[in-house]
Order: sequence, then C-alpha cells, then structure tokens
Amino acid sequence: MTSGLTDTAAGLGTDRHVRRYEDIRELLPDIDNPTPLVRLNRVVPDGDLDVYLKLEWLNPFGSIKDRAAAHLIAGLEERGALDGKELVEASSGNTAIALAALAALAGYRLTVTIPDGVPEDKKVQLRMLGAEVWPTPDDLCPVDHPKDGAIALARSLAATGGGNRFVFVNQYENADNVRAHYETTGPEIWRQTEGRVRYFIAGIGTTGTLTGVGRYLKEQDPDVRVIAVEPQRGHKLPGLKSFQEAKQPGILDWGVIDEVIQVDDEPAYAMTKRLYREEALMVGPSTGAIVHAAAGLAGDNHGLAVGVSPDSGLKYGEYFAELLGDEGTPAI
Amino acid sequence: MTQPSTSTDPATAPVAKDVLDCSGLLCPLPVYRAGLALDRLEPGDVLELVTTDPGSLEDIPALARQRGDTLLSFEDRGISQIFYLAKGGAS
Repeated sequence: MTSGLTDTAAGLGTDRHVRRYEDIRELLPDIDNPTPLVRLNRVVPDGDLDVYLKLEWLNPFGSIKDRAAAHLIAGLEERGALDGKELVEASSGNTAIALAALAALAGYRLTVTIPDGVPEDKKVQLRMLGAEVWPTPDDLCPVDHPKDGAIALARSLAATGGGNRFVFVNQYENADNVRAHYETTGPEIWRQTEGRVRYFIAGIGTTGTLTGVGRYLKEQDPDVRVIAVEPQRGHKLPGLKSFQEAKQPGILDWGVIDEVIQVDDEPAYAMTKRLYREEALMVGPSTGAIVHAAAGLAGDNHGLAVGVSPDSGLKYGEYFAELLGDEGTPAI
Repeated sequence: MTQPSTSTDPATAPVAKDVLDCSGLLCPLPVYRAGLALDRLEPGDVLELVTTDPGSLEDIPALARQRGDTLLSFEDRGISQIFYLAKGGAS
C-alpha cells in the first residue's frame, strides 16, 4: 500500500500518476488509489435514485477480496503468527485467489478448502498460483454437523493437521477482514461520492464489506442506510451466503445493517445479463443480485446509492453457459 | 450408529489394500481423507482406517452409507478406532 515515488537501484521507481509500479502490491486500493465508481444509466428505473457501482474486479488480483487478503496477511505478520507456518483458508474462490497471489509473493504456502460448486476455473487459477486446493462438500460430516464443510475442514487442518504447521486465516472471524473495508472501501466511497452517499448495498458473504463499510459510512453520517443482499437457500450465486443454511460470521455487526433484501437466482442472473448487454459491465452473478436489489429501491427512494460489484463474470463461464442455453449460437 | 456386520478378530480381519492413519486428526479431516483414500481404490478393495476422534464412531459408518461403501468391521480400542471399509461398486 505504498504511495508516491519510490527510487530503486534497478527500476524506474513507482509513480502512481503515470500508473507505473515497482511491485504489483502497490496496485492494491486505498483512498488515493480507489477502484472506480461507475453510474448505472440503463438498468435502474428512472427516478430520483442514482445508483453507482464500485468495480472491484479492477483490483490487481481480480476481486474485492484483494483488500481483505492484504489486511489478513498483514495482520498475521504483525502478530508474528506466520513465522515458519503455512496458510489455510476456506474460500469460495476470490479470497483464496488474492491470498494465493500475495502468499506467492511473500513466499508462504497456502492450502485452500473450497466448497463444491465453485467454478473449476477458479480452482485452476489457484493451482496456477501454487496453492493446494481441497474441494469440500458442504455436508462433509455426514452426521449432525452444520453446513460449511470447507470452514470445518480448514479449522480441523489448523487444529490437528500437519503438526501445528497451519495457520487458519479465517476471514469469517478475523477482524482484519472488517478493518480492510473500514480503512479502504468505506473512505473511498465517502470521498468518491463527496459525502453524498445515502444507501450502501452489498451482498452477504463473510460480511466484512457490509460491516466495515457500513461502520465507516455511519460514523460519517448516521442516516446512511446499509442494505444487505441475501440469496435464497440452495442458491447458485457464488460468493454469497444464505443465513438459512450458513452460520452467521463472527465479524458480522447487525448494528450497522438497516435492511436485508432477499434475492432469487433468476432475477439475479437476468440482471447480470442486462448489466453485460445494457451497461457493458462484465460482472459476476453476485453483482447481478446486488443491482437487482438496488433497482428495487429506485421507486420509493431518492439520493445516491452505491452498490458493490465484487468481481467480474470471467470466472463464471459454466454458469453463464447454462443461463444462455442456445442463445447466441447459429440457428440451423 | 450402524453396527458393523462383524467384529474384528486379528485372525479374520479383512485384508486391507491400503491403510490410512488419521490418529490425532479431528472431524472432518478423517472423513475427508477417508473419502479421498476410498476414491483411489478399486471396487471391492478394503481400506483400513485408524482414527482417534470419537466423532468417527458416527461419522465413518455414515460416510460409508453416504458413499455406497461397506463397513465390514470395526474395532474400538478406547483411544483409537480401526475401521475396515470395502469400496462399493464391486459386482
């Protein structure tokens, strides 16, 4: 998170003004290097609500999870918890990819327990980055255990696997996940909207974004409404979690959340397609769910809303192929 | 818990194709690793699985049921358990 110009013996030195960097990690976002905020001009009904989308796929490792991963590793390093250890994390992909990239740069080994149903492309990206990937069914323990088998497996690996070799990053319980968004995403949004943001809309996953951004924005203006988007039980929206089937994360602060909007898969995917075709925004399915919820606010609300676009659609080819069927192929 | 069909007598213990020692590992690691080990066997092959997690007493028989494998026998040694699992799919 270095900013400004850094002279080095061998290189040109980092200069953000001309977007020249000596290390990929210098692209990680902060208030002076925010991810873009882009207005939605076509998919939100006309009215008094302006909706802007924060494009998190433009982070260096491709998703909003770059922020959390950088803070999670920094926190472990600051506490001396990583000395001689390997990382293990449960992730549906994006956190793992960011962790794997940062771990590769820092020389740490990473094992990822990943839920079944995560696109194969994400697993391959992880293995390309040198991580070890353990696909894990949600109902891994057949008897009397909650969902989230990947989390349980990561926890048991850290507790008993490999002779104390692993450190469980644990984005669901680790306050550094919240800190990432309190220190970066929140201040960026406040500055980018010139303090005019009235609604903040994000999906329920680890809840690091909702809790961190929500806390920051409400400290600036208690009237900012923080809206959580939750999928239905058995959904097909990677990265999102339904509290009907997943345990609530320890980092979740209900005190900063004003409303939960539940979204079905079908309108979420329909909105994802509209975002591709009407806004030329190549977003992942969770963005579709978030924008669908934002569009629903447009009738009765006014002011400026910011929604999060956690990642791009490029890793979800198999999901989109199912959505499209024969569409876009030649008719015989 | 499902009772295995036979008790283990060293003289009549099934002949294992592979042995997996999950001593010291807590659930769900023994279940996960047992599933991986069974995946790598041929139908009818037997896996000898050693665990120390008491949860295995319920989890391993349930795993066998879920996967369509057969728990041939098991021995409870107090601090450890030994399971003999035959991979399903044999004709």
